Amino acid sequence: MRHSDDHQLVARIVSGQDTAAFGELVRRHQSQVRNFLRKLTGDIALADDLSQDCFMHAWDKIHGFSGRGSFIGWLLKIAYTTFLQSKRKSKRYAEILDEAGHVAEAESKLYSVQPDEVTDLDKLLAVLTDEERAIMVMSYACGLSHREISEATAMPVGSVKSVIFRGKEKIRTSFDIKDHQHG
Amino acid sequence: MTSKIINMAERIKDAEDRLLESMFESAPIADDGFSVKLVKRVRRRLWLQRLALPVAAVLGGAVAIRPLADLVTAMANLSFSVTSIVPEELVTATAGLIPQAPFVVLGAMLLAVCLLGLRAIDD
Repeated sequence: MRHSDDHQLVARIVSGQDTAAFGELVRRHQSQVRNFLRKLTGDIALADDLSQDCFMHAWDKIHGFSGRGSFIGWLLKIAYTTFLQSKRKSKRYAEILDEAGHVAEAESKLYSVQPDEVTDLDKLLAVLTDEERAIMVMSYACGLSHREISEATAMPVGSVKSVIFRGKEKIRTSFDIKDHQHG
Repeated sequence: MTSKIINMAERIKDAEDRLLESMFESAPIADDGFSVKLVKRVRRRLWLQRLALPVAAVLGGAVAIRPLADLVTAMANLSFSVTSIVPEELVTATAGLIPQAPFVVLGAMLLAVCLLGLRAIDD
């Protein structure tokens, strides 16, 4: 139901640049997109900036939404690309500062949780690579299917499964999940 | 059939999956004006896109009108010197029919801008 509602809103945007329909789509999905980016970056302000960029990209590319998969899957694909682009930019900036002889204070600002705000989940996410983190968040926090994650990350379904397996393995070895499970 | 089996296998979650889901779970983030701000940004961008062409046409026209007028005058002078070899009766007969060229150019540009503006409003 929600799926088709989203598709109807997209159709309204495509046919008449309906900003009200776009607003409705943003209202529906902002929480998931912002949550996804907050978990990826560990920085609320940065995640919200990236979320804004993500939705602006979505507005620009809405004609490219085929309607085959879910809208949230398509949106998270854009969010992940926006995150990777931002990370590349900040890395380049750090390199420039480094070359200029400065202390690279901008060095990978991404995933920079404040020490006093560290939660169990933050510790758990910190042992994962960006790719593993993104896929695990898409799977366990956003509830995307392996196929949807495969479309969002442009990876084969088999690779998505092995990344999830690897991520779980890392979490298992870094934290005593079984103890946690039994309290 | 195969995809159905894969989907079913995906849905079967073990205790670890359920634990991970509960750990990844977080409260929904309140909108708090996020969507309103975004829609405003989109509307602003739309207006800028719609205005860009007419504004560029007006600015371009303002810059180009003077050299264009000079060019038209020069061409008119050139054609006048050419007409000196053409019989005088023919020149006097057609001279009244030639409107002032700079005004024609300006008028055409204004018309184009109006048309673009109307299309933008229509959109």
